[in-house]
Amino acid sequence: MNKEILIIGGGIAGIQSALDLADMGIKVHLVEKLPSIGGKMAQLDKTFPTNDCAI
Amino acid sequence: MLDVGRHPNIELLSYSEVEKVEGRIGDLRVTVRRKARYVEEDKCTGCGTCTEKCPTAVPDAFNEGLGDRRAIYSYFAQGIPSTHTIDPDQCRQLKGKKCGICAKTCQAEAINFDQKDRIVEIDVAAIIVAVGYDVFDPSRIPEYRYREITNVVTAIEFERLLSASGPTVGHLDRPSDRAVEAQIEELEKKARKSQKVLGKLEERFGESSAEFHEKYQAGQYQGDQERQKWADKYAAHLSVMEPLEDLKKRAEGFTVAKRLAFIQCVGSRDFRFYPFCSGYCCMHSVKEAIIAHEHEPETRSTIFGMDIRAVGKGFEEYKIRGGDHSNITYVRGRVAEITEGANHNPVVTYEDTRERKVKSQEFDMVILATACAPTKGIIELAKVVGIELDQYNFVKTSPLSPVDSTTPGIFVCGCAESPMDVPESVAQASSAAERAAEIAIQPRPEMEHAVA
Ligand SMILES: Cc1cc2nc3c(=O)[nH]c(=O)nc-3n(C[C@H](O)[C@H](O)[C@H](O)COP(=O)(O)OP(=O)(O)OC[C@H]3O[C@@H](n4cnc5c(N)ncnc54)[C@H](O)[C@@H]3O)c2cc1C
Ligand code: SF4
Ligand code: SF4
Repeated sequence: MNKEILIIGGGIAGIQSALDLADMGIKVHLVEKLPSIGGKMAQLDKTFPTNDCAI
Repeated sequence: MLDVGRHPNIELLSYSEVEKVEGRIGDLRVTVRRKARYVEEDKCTGCGTCTEKCPTAVPDAFNEGLGDRRAIYSYFAQGIPSTHTIDPDQCRQLKGKKCGICAKTCQAEAINFDQKDRIVEIDVAAIIVAVGYDVFDPSRIPEYRYREITNVVTAIEFERLLSASGPTVGHLDRPSDRAVEAQIEELEKKARKSQKVLGKLEERFGESSAEFHEKYQAGQYQGDQERQKWADKYAAHLSVMEPLEDLKKRAEGFTVAKRLAFIQCVGSRDFRFYPFCSGYCCMHSVKEAIIAHEHEPETRSTIFGMDIRAVGKGFEEYKIRGGDHSNITYVRGRVAEITEGANHNPVVTYEDTRERKVKSQEFDMVILATACAPTKGIIELAKVVGIELDQYNFVKTSPLSPVDSTTPGIFVCGCAESPMDVPESVAQASSAAERAAEIAIQPRPEMEHAVA
């Protein structure tokens, strides 16, 4: 059995790490201090350089 | 984001903080405080009925205080998880007053005012620190007069103003105009109330307040106490209506902001604050100017900077496209001062280094491209987790192992490591995930370096 991983911070960086590990079959605990994940990126209207919607 | 909430291998511990880490690489015990939301996670459906009824308005942090939320809230509309949270510093009931309206309206019976923080322990092999950054507080630069001049805003505030889900549903209404509109709303509420009182009196005495008042002033009702009261009420009503009419007239002239100034390196590349380049701010100013122009084709933007740093795939092309198609002018120079001109227009004084002249220009709004500052709680967290920070308080790493902290088994990614944009954050995140996986999958951590 694989061991588990803790991620502190649920912005785009923490989310990406969590998904990568989870897809490898590793159990992840994602700790976020605010009521919802998303971090700063969730506050952005669109992102450069493609102007895709942030969420 | 949705995937994180659903993935069977991810346990989401939101509204939580890490309090203790013990052990060593491969064998770490972590203590997490799950803060009380006063809402049962397994019962709340996220329907939002409670927020509609809650009487307590609070500045909305997600909208950078440009709008309000309620004491019971979801952090933002599409937030994961959708479980609502009661803000204990604001809620009437939790502050010992009478309320509980949300509990009465919640069909799911999810509200629990007696909920307590919970402490959980988790055993893990490795930790990834991804706590991000804070926006530099530009009020530390007095010459830019942030918070003094209402139409000077930060870039993150501007993102919220551009957003269709933001407080202005994407219209670039100037903060000074919004303040007037809020005043109008307030006065209209008062006027409606006083009008109601007058309406009753008018019905009773069978004439309009204006007609009555004329006679009253001519001295017709001397000694009549009832009518004396009416006259007072009428005077009070007029004292609301007069400023209200003035403000309404002013508001007729309001248009969206069309002349925008973006000021680069606010707190970055500045030896008083952060000597480093925050990397993403040049690009987000270009982006915000392009989007503003998409919303309103008459928009003209000037970006003031020492140079525009467009280092990244497709970035230089993006910058040029902004200049060619989105009315962006790039001015090379550092802004010395922002003052307030007529009509709350910010006036930017700068040195045009190409022409070697000091110039001033008036705008509808100024947007400050603030530095990427280390996040507030990082010093505390570094102690808890047991890692070193660099001279600025980002997590210390070395150039050849950019996601390894100074402690084996503790990794870092994103702006917790240094200022970086989304593509870089994602790349580092995958890299940190890979480094952590090496430990989770291999039970022998001493093999860690032999693999390379
Ligand atoms: C105005 C503006 C516009 C931008 N536009 C763009 C753009 O268009 N394109 C682009 O590529 N980049 C853009 N950026 C940069 C982008 O915001 C960052 O690259 C990105 O958000 C970094 O992600 P992160 O996960 O490292 O940090 P963050 O987004 O800051 O996420 C960190 C998370 O960790 C949480 N956290 C913090 N401390 C703790 C703790 N102690 N315990 C638990 N959780 C904690 C936070 O609440 C947060 O959810 C912009 C930045 C700004 C300021
Ligand atoms: S607490 Fe109740 S009313 Fe509020 S969102 Fe959750 S289920 Fe809906
Ligand atoms: S108890 Fe009242 S103030 Fe507190 S969250 Fe519920 S409705 Fe709002």
